[in-house]
Amino acid sequence: MAQDTAVPKLNFEYWLDKATEWGQATTLESQKDVCRHLPQLQEFLQQIYETLKHMNSIEAIQQFPLIGQLLGRLCWNPFVIGYDESQKTLMWCLCCLYSSEPQNPVELKANSWIRSLLCHLLSSSKWESNEAGTNTFISALGYTSADYYSHLVKNMVLSLVTELKGNQFNGLNIQERVPASRVSEVSLFCLPLITLPDLTPLLETLLLCHGGASQELLSSEFLDAVNEAFLKKKISLSETAIFGLWLRHLPSLEKATLYLLDQLVSIQMTSLEEVACVVKDSLLPQAASHPAIFRVVDEIFKNALLETDGAPEVMTIIQVFTQLFVQAHQNNNKQHKFPLKAYFSRHHQPLVIALLRRPFSTHCSQHLKHISEMLKTLVEDESIRSFVDLFEIWFLIARFGEWLDIAAEQLLKASAEPDALLWLLAFYYSPQNENQQRTQTMVEARGVYDQLVMLFSCTVLSVKDLQAAVHKTDTKQSCTQHLTTHLLTSFLLFSSGGHMIAQEFISHITGTSDASKEVCSLLFRTAYRINRNGERNQRTVKLVNDLLQKLTLKV
Amino acid sequence: MEALLEQVAQLPGLLAVSRSALVRAWDAPTLGRALEWARYFQHLHGRFRARPRLRAALGRRLRQGQPGSPLGFRHLGRCAALLGLALLENRALPPAACRRLLQSLLRPGAAAEAPSLALLARRKAASRLLAPAPRPAGSPAALEPQVRAEAQMLLARLREEEEEAEPGGGRAGEARERLRWVAGLLEQLPQPRALRVVAAALQQQRGGDEEGLRGRAGGGHVAGPLLSWLLESQERFSAFCLLLPGSLLASLAAHYSQLRPPYLDLLTAWGSRLLYDPLQGRWHNSCLGEAELSWEELRERFDCLCRGPALLRGQTRAALELLKVQDGDFHICGLSVWTDLLMEVEKSLRKEEEQ
Repeated sequence: MAQDTAVPKLNFEYWLDKATEWGQATTLESQKDVCRHLPQLQEFLQQIYETLKHMNSIEAIQQFPLIGQLLGRLCWNPFVIGYDESQKTLMWCLCCLYSSEPQNPVELKANSWIRSLLCHLLSSSKWESNEAGTNTFISALGYTSADYYSHLVKNMVLSLVTELKGNQFNGLNIQERVPASRVSEVSLFCLPLITLPDLTPLLETLLLCHGGASQELLSSEFLDAVNEAFLKKKISLSETAIFGLWLRHLPSLEKATLYLLDQLVSIQMTSLEEVACVVKDSLLPQAASHPAIFRVVDEIFKNALLETDGAPEVMTIIQVFTQLFVQAHQNNNKQHKFPLKAYFSRHHQPLVIALLRRPFSTHCSQHLKHISEMLKTLVEDESIRSFVDLFEIWFLIARFGEWLDIAAEQLLKASAEPDALLWLLAFYYSPQNENQQRTQTMVEARGVYDQLVMLFSCTVLSVKDLQAAVHKTDTKQSCTQHLTTHLLTSFLLFSSGGHMIAQEFISHITGTSDASKEVCSLLFRTAYRINRNGERNQRTVKLVNDLLQKLTLKV
Repeated sequence: MEALLEQVAQLPGLLAVSRSALVRAWDAPTLGRALEWARYFQHLHGRFRARPRLRAALGRRLRQGQPGSPLGFRHLGRCAALLGLALLENRALPPAACRRLLQSLLRPGAAAEAPSLALLARRKAASRLLAPAPRPAGSPAALEPQVRAEAQMLLARLREEEEEAEPGGGRAGEARERLRWVAGLLEQLPQPRALRVVAAALQQQRGGDEEGLRGRAGGGHVAGPLLSWLLESQERFSAFCLLLPGSLLASLAAHYSQLRPPYLDLLTAWGSRLLYDPLQGRWHNSCLGEAELSWEELRERFDCLCRGPALLRGQTRAALELLKVQDGDFHICGLSVWTDLLMEVEKSLRKEEEQ
């Protein structure tokens, strides 16, 4: 829509026609049509208000002679009044049109009409009439229509919940089952009211309502709207209800996952704890206990990774998600839950089991060697011909990426037999080997490693020394660059000599923004890992935090 | 303190004026002042809510010299809404003042104390959308949410009264006052509606009592006046028992002992008036057009009573047995309505046990 300050005349006529067509929204068709147009109508009303608030009532009537008709009709449409903030905007508009000094009978009449409309909207008369019956009872009690409608809506919700639940307890009693048309009808009426807190029990009941039909009972507009409201944190639903929603409506699940990714990629990360918080709040890791949901989310993550060429931020998010998923699965007390390995391909079971072990401080190298050997067997011996198969294995390793960071650390700390661990890292950075890329990477990496290991125990080191050591090896491939960055950063964090020159050296290597993101991600992951393990290495923690501060300021 | 009480004593007057034609003389500044007062009263409510003695003092002051419905401390808390909505509906309010009213109630930036009118409008629309499908007029199920809502408000008001009532002192007089007040309230509804609301209220209160929510024995100030009102007039009580379904009456009778004797008496009176038609082999009402139960309905009522808790069941059976004996202790049908009733009831209970 054109964002003029003046409301385009065309739009006005369009909406007036619509409002006339809808009437009081008594037929199914008109009801569905209203629901479809509610968001745009709200925007339009907002625009009208913005225009009206700068005018007095006379100018307003001159500019929009038909505004009375439009507002009048809309006020009698319960779908419009029930939706989000439309009622607020409508009342503000009416307010603008009220004149404080009516000069002629027309203005007096207009004023009177506005008063009537407001009374219709706010007093405890029936919607259609001005029946005074309940009115006097309520005022005799000393309450207002606000109290009355608050109670009334809660009771209506209760009635509907009882009616809809009717079929759930009488599993075998088919006569008691609520007809599908009734469920559909109720969901339509609820559509404008989704963000009204009183409705939450009804929404939950609807989301768990299946009725045994093979077709979806609830309209996709309804499910979409509920999902939107949940993602924008306008309503809060129980986990069961939201999982129910995602299980029955695939687009909602996809939207939720993409929304999470968008959120995380766009915020300025200050720590992985923050990321973990956001991921946990999204309820997706918990939902992924349902294998169907796990599969869908996985697909979306894989696509995201491929589309961004393996961007480190996306990889980090996937790793955090996987950790939270495993955690949620272990905390889940339900009896019938799938074993963790069931979520991953059965071709890779032994590897999966090894990766699922929580990293521990002792025997880490041994376990990593074990992982590396299994991986090597899978990759080299099996008939991995297609890109897809290779990608699956690579993705498995990548999502449990904490092991890779530990491998880099262990490589430098425990100096015996580096080949297995180096191979692990080489595979991660260079999975394909048709043209011997991985083999080449392995060779180059070994070169860098040999240099670094020599310097590891030096207490005094200069930037030049380190630079010289790195450049001794001729690295042709870009993959090796990434691997080198990984090793170097680990070196700087975990060696005594490296600590001193860390700031300076890192400023040097993060000349390009690519390397900067990589280093950042690694620093975040390391901080997160150290905090989770409760390690007391204060020096390292401080160093990591300092480096991060400097780096994030740069970006 | 005295000054405060003086101020608070203005509230009833202010509310009364806001509903009357006297507002014709109001201009925008006057209206502004009235709204200021409302905000001030609400502020007082917030301040004194947790201080029982001051609360009681303010409440007492509000009640003094009230011909209409007595106001309580709680009304201070609802002032802005009460005043605002009353003024909105008052057609006598002149345009300038009205505009000021609309601005302060509806415009953005209306302070948090002002009632959320947007929420009110939204809920009213919601009640229109979620209303149960129109059923044949008079069908109780269709009205249920409305009846329950009115019952809940009635109960809330009675509970407020209970909380602010003075412990001890002038018991009898107070009870009479309270009954008159409740009667006045219920007069605002058409009789059948009022009866349903009272039934729903008693039903809900029973739930509250069972959970031990009310510390005082029997929630005397809440259920008490309602029961007194019901039993006050024979006509009213009889209409009550005719209107409501047997199951509801049985559950109320189970919980409220005051209801049992009059209910049984009423059923007895109705039963006694039934005559047996030997040609058609059934009992029927003697006088047509009088508000009474038919044989089937009577049987259903006794059935419900006998499915109640043990005490109720026992009392009902005992009453029926006594009536049967007094009526001649017959064992065959068609001679005494009580014999037949007892037989039917026992038959249906046996059938249930077999299932």
